Amino acid sequence: MLFRKLLRTALRYKAQFISMIIMIGLGLGVFVGFNMEWVSIEKNIDYAFKETGFADFRLVNESGFSEEDAKSVASIPGVEDTTRFLAVNTVVKGGTDVITLTVSENINVSGFLTTSGEGYDGESSDKIWLSDQYAERNGISVGDQLSLSYRDVTLETKVAGLVKSGEYLICLPDDSLLMPDFDSYGFAYVSPAAFKKAAGYEFYTQINVISDLTKEEFSEKANGALGRTTLVVSKDDTVSYSEAMGESEEGKTMGSVLPVLFIAIAVLTMVTTMHRITANEKTQIGTLKSLGFTDRRILVHYSSYALFIGVVGTVLGAGIGYGLAYYIMNPNGAMGTYLDMPQWKLYMPSFAYIVIVGVIAFLTFIGFLSVKKMLKGSAADALRPYSPKAMRKLRIENTRLWNKFGFGTRWNLRDVLRHPSRSLMTLFGVVGCTVLLVGGLGMRDTMDDFVGVFYDKAINYEYRLNISKDADNADAIAAAEKYEGDWSAQSSVEIGDEAVLLEIYSVKHDKVRFIDEKMNVVPLSDDGAFICRRIANENGLKAGDAAVFSPYGTDKKYEVRVAGVTSSLSKSIVLSDALAEKLGIEYDVTSVYTDKAGVPTDGVVSSVQSKASIIGSFDAFMEIMNVMVFLLIAAAVILGLIVLYNLGVMSYVERYREMATLKVIGFNDRSIGRLLVSQNLWLSVIGTLIGMPLGWAVLEYLITALGSEYELRVYIGPLTYIISALLTLGVSVVVSKIISAKNKKIDMVSALKTEE
Amino acid sequence: MNMIELKNVSRVYTAGDHTLRALDRVSLELEKGKFIVVLGQSGAGKSTLLNMIGGLDSPTEGEIVVDGKDISKLGRDGLAAYRAETVGFVFQSYNLIPTLTVKENVALVKEIVKDPLDAEKILDEVGLLDHLNNFPSELSGGEQQRVSIARALAKNPKILLCDEPTGALDSETGVTVLKLLLNMAREHGKTIIIVTHNQNIAKMADVVIRVKNGKIKSYETQDHPLTADEVEW
Repeated sequence: MLFRKLLRTALRYKAQFISMIIMIGLGLGVFVGFNMEWVSIEKNIDYAFKETGFADFRLVNESGFSEEDAKSVASIPGVEDTTRFLAVNTVVKGGTDVITLTVSENINVSGFLTTSGEGYDGESSDKIWLSDQYAERNGISVGDQLSLSYRDVTLETKVAGLVKSGEYLICLPDDSLLMPDFDSYGFAYVSPAAFKKAAGYEFYTQINVISDLTKEEFSEKANGALGRTTLVVSKDDTVSYSEAMGESEEGKTMGSVLPVLFIAIAVLTMVTTMHRITANEKTQIGTLKSLGFTDRRILVHYSSYALFIGVVGTVLGAGIGYGLAYYIMNPNGAMGTYLDMPQWKLYMPSFAYIVIVGVIAFLTFIGFLSVKKMLKGSAADALRPYSPKAMRKLRIENTRLWNKFGFGTRWNLRDVLRHPSRSLMTLFGVVGCTVLLVGGLGMRDTMDDFVGVFYDKAINYEYRLNISKDADNADAIAAAEKYEGDWSAQSSVEIGDEAVLLEIYSVKHDKVRFIDEKMNVVPLSDDGAFICRRIANENGLKAGDAAVFSPYGTDKKYEVRVAGVTSSLSKSIVLSDALAEKLGIEYDVTSVYTDKAGVPTDGVVSSVQSKASIIGSFDAFMEIMNVMVFLLIAAAVILGLIVLYNLGVMSYVERYREMATLKVIGFNDRSIGRLLVSQNLWLSVIGTLIGMPLGWAVLEYLITALGSEYELRVYIGPLTYIISALLTLGVSVVVSKIISAKNKKIDMVSALKTEE
Repeated sequence: MNMIELKNVSRVYTAGDHTLRALDRVSLELEKGKFIVVLGQSGAGKSTLLNMIGGLDSPTEGEIVVDGKDISKLGRDGLAAYRAETVGFVFQSYNLIPTLTVKENVALVKEIVKDPLDAEKILDEVGLLDHLNNFPSELSGGEQQRVSIARALAKNPKILLCDEPTGALDSETGVTVLKLLLNMAREHGKTIIIVTHNQNIAKMADVVIRVKNGKIKSYETQDHPLTADEVEW
C-alpha cells in the first residue's frame, strides 16, 4: 500500500521528482562518461601498445646502427626485446601524399596489427603493409600496387595487408600539426628484405627497445654498451604515448571538475526538494503516525522516495555516461579522428560503481534526515502543518534605501531571505549554467586565439619543403634562396635532463615568426635564444638568464643567453643562424619555408607540405573542440532549465496562497507574473555576474591542469560573455514565463479556503 | 437604491459525470449601505454566492449587476479590475502576506487602486497604530483579522465581503471585529455582506438571507437590528 502511495506521491510532485532524477542523471552521466573515456583510452592504448610491441625506448643515431650495436643493446640486463628500426618519409608516386615507410627488423618490437589481408612476411621483397585508415581514405585495397619514392630510390610494392600500429597511434607527420590527416599522410611497413632490394643497402637510424628500466638506467647502460652517448627517446617523449596520455588526463580533469559541479548542485537541490516534499507531507506523516505506523516504518517509507530518485537517477546517469563515452570514444567519434586504435572497447572504471552506490546512499540519507525532522515530537505535533520560519526584520530595512523600494521589491527581497536555501540553490544553478557557458565558449575562444595566432601570425609561408637527409647545407640554402624562402635546422638537444628540440632559423623573408607569451610577434635576435614557456617553467629560466644545452651524441655544452620566452607548439630552443654560427653549433638544414607553389621533389627537397594541409588538421582539431563546447552548452542549458524550473515551481507552490490573495485583492495575472519573474531575474542577474569571473577562473584552472600539451593562454572574447549572459538570462526568462503562466490556473476560492 | 442585483444566477460544477448545482437560479436585490448576513449550512451555497458577487468566480448562467455594471460577462482582467475597485474581501484565515509588515500589507493596494485611503489612518481606525511595523506572524488572530479588514477598506470599496470573518476568533475578539464591520456600514455607507454559520451575528443584520441547496430559502429584513454589545454571545 505504501509503495502505491510512493508512486502517487511521485506523480504529485512530478516536476520535483523528474528534475531531481535528471540532475542526478546529468551529474553522474558526466562523471561516468568522462571517467569511462579516460579509463577506456588507457586500456585500449595499452592493448594497442602490447599487441604491436610499442617500444619503451628509442636509441636514435642519424648515421645508423650496426648489427653489433643491436646485439650490444639486446644483451643489456633488463632489456626484453629490441629491433633495429627505420622510419623515412616517402612520397606516393604521382602525387604529393607522404607515407612514412617503416622497417622493423624484429617485427615483435614496434610492429603492427593486421586488420585485413595477410600477416607480416619478413622474407617478401615486394609486399607492403599499409595503414588501413590511409588506405580507406584513398581507396586503396589489399592487392593494389603502391609505388613510393624516397630520395632516388623507388619502391614498387603490392599491398599485402592493412594495419594499425602503436608507433603511429597518433599519426602526425610533425609537431606543427595538431591532428592526423589520413587523406594525405599515412604510414606503411615493408620487410628489411624489400627495403634492401629497393635501396641496395640496409640502414637503421633507431634501435627500439622494450624494457622496464627507467630512462636514466637505460641511458646509462645503453651508453656503456655502445661506447658513446646516444640520444634516448623514451615513450613519454613520443607523440603517440604522450598525446594519448594527454587525452586521458583531459578526461580525468573533465571527469573530476564538471561532475563535482553537477553532483553538488544535484545534492543541494535534493536537500531543498526533499525538505519541501516532507514539509508538504507533514500532516500525512502525522496521520500515518496517529494511525499507529511506527516512526521506523514512516522513515523507511519517506527515505524510499529519495532512494527511488537516487536509483532511477543513477541508472539514467549510467546510461547518459555510457552514451557520452561512446559519443567521444568510438572509431567514428571525436576521438576516432585523433587516435588510430585497433580496439575501441568501453570500460567502466570500478571506482564509478563505488561513487554510484555512494550517491544513492547519500541521497537516501538526505531523505532520511528530512523526514526525521518532521517526525519529531508527538503524533499531534506531527499532525500540525509545517510552518515556515517567522518573518523578521532585515537590516536593510532600517536604511533610507528601503523606503524607496516598491512593494514588489520588498516582497521579493523578503521572500528570497525567508527561503535562503531555495534562493541559494537558484543562484547555484544560474552560476553553474554561466560557468559552463563561459568555460565552454571560452575554451573555444582560447583555442581559436591560440591556433589563430600560430596559423595566421607565426606561419607566414604557404609551403614547407622538407629537405632530404642526404642534401648538404649549401644545396638546401641555395634552394631556400631560389624559392625566396627562410630555412630552419632541427635537431635534438638535452636541457636539464630532458630532450627538446633545437631549432636554428634563418629568417630573411619573414616567412616564419615567433610569438611571445602575450601572443605578440617578436623578432628573432642574434644575441640570444628564445626558449618556449614549458622549458622556461621547468628549468626556472627567464629572459636574461643563461641556458645550457648539449646536443645528443656529443659531450659539447653550449651556453646561451635567453633573449625571451615564447609560446610554441613544440618544446624548443630557438636560435638565429648567425648566433648558432657564433656559438659554433653544427647543424643540418631540415626545412625551407616559401610561398612558391609547385616546387618539385628532387635530391634536395624530399617532400612538400602545404599550409592548407596544416590548416586542415587544425579544422579537425577544432571539430573536436566544437563537440566539447556543444556538449557543455547543452549541459549548461539543461542544468539551468532544470534547476530554475524545479525551484521556480517550488517558489510558486509556496507562494500560491499569497498569489491567490493578491488576485483576490485585484492584482491581474500580468502583474503577479511580473512579481514572480522579477525575483528569478534578479537572482539570475546576480548569478550571471558571479558566474562570469568564476567561469574564467574554472577555465584558467582547466587550462593549467591540461596545459602540458600546449602553451595556452586563457582568452575569452567579449562575445562569449555576452552570449553566456544572454543564454543564462534567456533560460531564466523562459522558465519564469512557463511558471508565471501557471498564475492563470490559481484557484482563488480553494486556495484561500484551506487553513494555514 | 440597489447596490447588487442577481438575476437567475446559477453556478454548476462538473467533475466527470457528476454535476453539482451550487447555486440554482438565484435572484436577489441588495441595497447600498446595508449590513447583510447570509446563513446556511456547509455546502448550502453561501460561499459560492459570495464568490459570485466578489468576482472570484463567474456564473454558469444569469446576470450579476453591481453598482449598475454587469460583471457576469467580464473577462479575467475585467474581473481583476472589478475586484480592485469595487469589492474588499475578508477571510476566516486572514490571508495576509507573511513577508510584508502590517503597514505594507495595507499599503499594498496602492499598486492597483488609484486613490487608496491612507494606510496609517485606517490602521489607526482599526486600533493597530502600534503595530505598523510588525509582521503578521507577530500578531494575534484578532489583530491579523483587523489588518485584513484594514487592507480591504484601504481600497475604499463600495462592498465588503466577509467569509466567516470571526470563525477563527474567540468571542471577545470576534465582537471587536464585528463592531468594526458594522461601523463601516453605519458610518461609511459600505455594503457589508457576511457569510457565516453563526446565528447570533444575524441579529445585528439589516437583512438576513438563508441559503439551502443552492437556493434562497428566506429573505428577511430587520428594522431594528441589535448592536454587537446587545447580542448575547
